[in-house]
Amino acid sequence: MRKEGLMAATVHGLPAAFRRALEAVALWSRVNSPWLVHFNSGSCNGCDIEILATLAPRWDLERFGAKLWGSPRHADVLVCTGPVTRLARERLVRVYEQMPAPKFVVAVGSCGITGGAFHGCYNIVGDIGDVVPVDVYVPGCPPRPEAIIDGVIQLLTRLRPPKARRHAAKAAAPGGAA
Amino acid sequence: MSAADLSRIQGALAPWLTGSRLASDTRLDMETPAENLLAAVTAFRGLAWGYLSAITGLDGLGPAAGPSASEAAPGGAPAQGSASQHGTLGSIEVLYQFCQGPCLATLRVRVPRDRAEVPSISGAVPSAVLFERELSEMLGVHVTGLPGGKRQFLPDDWPPNVFPLRKDFLVESAAPVADSAPSVGSGEAPGTFIVPIGPQHPALKEPGHFEFAVDGEIITGASIRLGYVHRGIEKAAEDRSWVQGLYLVERICGICSHIHATAYALGVEALAGMTIPPRGQAIRTLLCELERIHSHLLWLGVAAHEAGFDTLFMFSWRDRETVMDLLEQLTGNRVNYAANLIGGVKYEIDAPAADAIRRGMDYLEGRARHYLKIVTTDESFLRRTRGVGTISREMSERFGTVGPTARASGVPTDLRAAAPYAAYGQFPVTPVVDQRCDQEARFVVRVRELSECFRVVREILDRLPPGDLSIPAPRKVAEGEAVSRVEAPRGELFYYLRSTGGVKPDRVKVRTPSLCNWAAVVNVVIGQKLADVPVILAGIDPCFSCNDRSLTLRRRGKTGAGGVETWSWEDLRTYGIRWYGGGRS
Repeated sequence: MRKEGLMAATVHGLPAAFRRALEAVALWSRVNSPWLVHFNSGSCNGCDIEILATLAPRWDLERFGAKLWGSPRHADVLVCTGPVTRLARERLVRVYEQMPAPKFVVAVGSCGITGGAFHGCYNIVGDIGDVVPVDVYVPGCPPRPEAIIDGVIQLLTRLRPPKARRHAAKAAAPGGAA
Repeated sequence: MSAADLSRIQGALAPWLTGSRLASDTRLDMETPAENLLAAVTAFRGLAWGYLSAITGLDGLGPAAGPSASEAAPGGAPAQGSASQHGTLGSIEVLYQFCQGPCLATLRVRVPRDRAEVPSISGAVPSAVLFERELSEMLGVHVTGLPGGKRQFLPDDWPPNVFPLRKDFLVESAAPVADSAPSVGSGEAPGTFIVPIGPQHPALKEPGHFEFAVDGEIITGASIRLGYVHRGIEKAAEDRSWVQGLYLVERICGICSHIHATAYALGVEALAGMTIPPRGQAIRTLLCELERIHSHLLWLGVAAHEAGFDTLFMFSWRDRETVMDLLEQLTGNRVNYAANLIGGVKYEIDAPAADAIRRGMDYLEGRARHYLKIVTTDESFLRRTRGVGTISREMSERFGTVGPTARASGVPTDLRAAAPYAAYGQFPVTPVVDQRCDQEARFVVRVRELSECFRVVREILDRLPPGDLSIPAPRKVAEGEAVSRVEAPRGELFYYLRSTGGVKPDRVKVRTPSLCNWAAVVNVVIGQKLADVPVILAGIDPCFSCNDRSLTLRRRGKTGAGGVETWSWEDLRTYGIRWYGGGRS
């Protein structure tokens, strides 16, 4: 995974302090407004409908600034479900490669971790981690919407600079300061 | 629709048959040699009876397995007997299963394993194309005269002459082959523009790949490539015990998981000759209806989203949580409830749970009335649905559509009423039919079906029979075969189960409703606007979004020396600059 994105190329040649400030702004906007792209690489739809439920009013993932977007070219986070079938493998790689760096992958569901109920089937090449690098695994068959939210939030928390991360951890702890 | 009908068929087809047998009042078993198949099917269609429900291929009728074939009606005891006495090692049996109401007429064709070849019946039965393609890809039965030679289910790099559903198939033999020709890409005439859509699309479920040939805004040709989520479940089921299979088939589809498990369980119970306690059947039926409510609300939201009506999407998904909560309360999981057992159900419904369900139904009833008003009166929404994607009744019957798609075309097909299974005999359902045939009708049918669901759920709660939930199931299931047909939220779901008396099934054949609906949709989009495609595709419920248009623009002729030319983004950009900047004038 490339560390430097388009932003780095654009600001190349600027004074270091200015560059740092720009990168801080980029990180801030990325963490507060991650765009998700969803790919089903062979799932039974169970996880996919729970991802949609996560975005629907009851759970409303959008309150964290997240947005489900159709094009991988505009997305920061690939939310992937299911074991990877032989036919879908090439597409999964292609969708991943179309995403601009830095990019992250959240694998939703047991099948994405081990192949789940389909482990060993003839048309399965493996789990998602075998095909693209995965940042967060969300287990469950299917995971509840709360678990999916938790997965995305864990990813975002990890992206934050250390100081903000401590603050977020404190806020998330039971009885922690808001 | 009874034994009389079946004997009439038996008589009419007699010249082409080598054997036939009325297994029961609703089951007719006929045998014909491959060379007579087309004539027999044509004569069959001439009787205007029933529709082709599935084509099942069977391999591995070795001497150990025995040639006994017995038919079993769901819920009834299997009738022992044998119509096919000459089962030999090295033959493949192809079953053409025609249904009407509770009746099933099977045409059996036996072909040698090394020269497996049957004629295509798609001339007489247009809906057979996808079934035949499945048969030829999965079991290696060459179907002569089958239009279109492209793969539909297996990956492009799958080696030739390796067929996963043959009994001697080894996973190692399916290693990818190099330099395989991609099966996507259409054979359209030179000069047409192809818009590829899928398999990645943002909001939705099944990835499929579509290619639409367009002339401006109007679609002139459409092709489809399935198989992105092909996992090989039918093969996997042969490798698992009867009970494990229950949890595997539940994961064929996460949206209608309960109905898959129900169809499978009903089939196994029929094979094993089990009689399920009425309370178990009633609770099973109740869960089927709750699942239908969740599935229809899900569809309503997604289809509205495709039409650009996101408010309705959010409202219906908010209300859907009501029924998701009920399912979770009853079974402990929101999706994949694992409520079925072979022999009944796991979960009891007590008084507080029944009250919670009643409250949920009351709330949703009001909402469904509201939705019905919206989908029939909202002016801007109607412009996306009224008169769009019209599948006439004639076309619907020709292509064999099922479920709400067929009912919206005026075909009164609903297995819950026509061939009641589980507890639908005690809690009858009236099919909801609409004659308008367009996208609006599909909305109206599904929303009105919700009201029917609420009524049935209340009725089941009011008259829940007392007694046990389940009976113990045997580890081994008696030899024989069973067909189990149920009405899934999207239409008729067909299961064929075959046992050789062991702890594992010999064959599990699943024919899902969507497979029947594709043919009609691929034909109906021709002549429609490209922008209406998502709405039309969503209409049959394998919901679909147009947002992904990863434009690989193919153009034939002109510069590519007659070959296919794939334009890069740079080419497109240059072309655009030339087109808009003086190149045209």
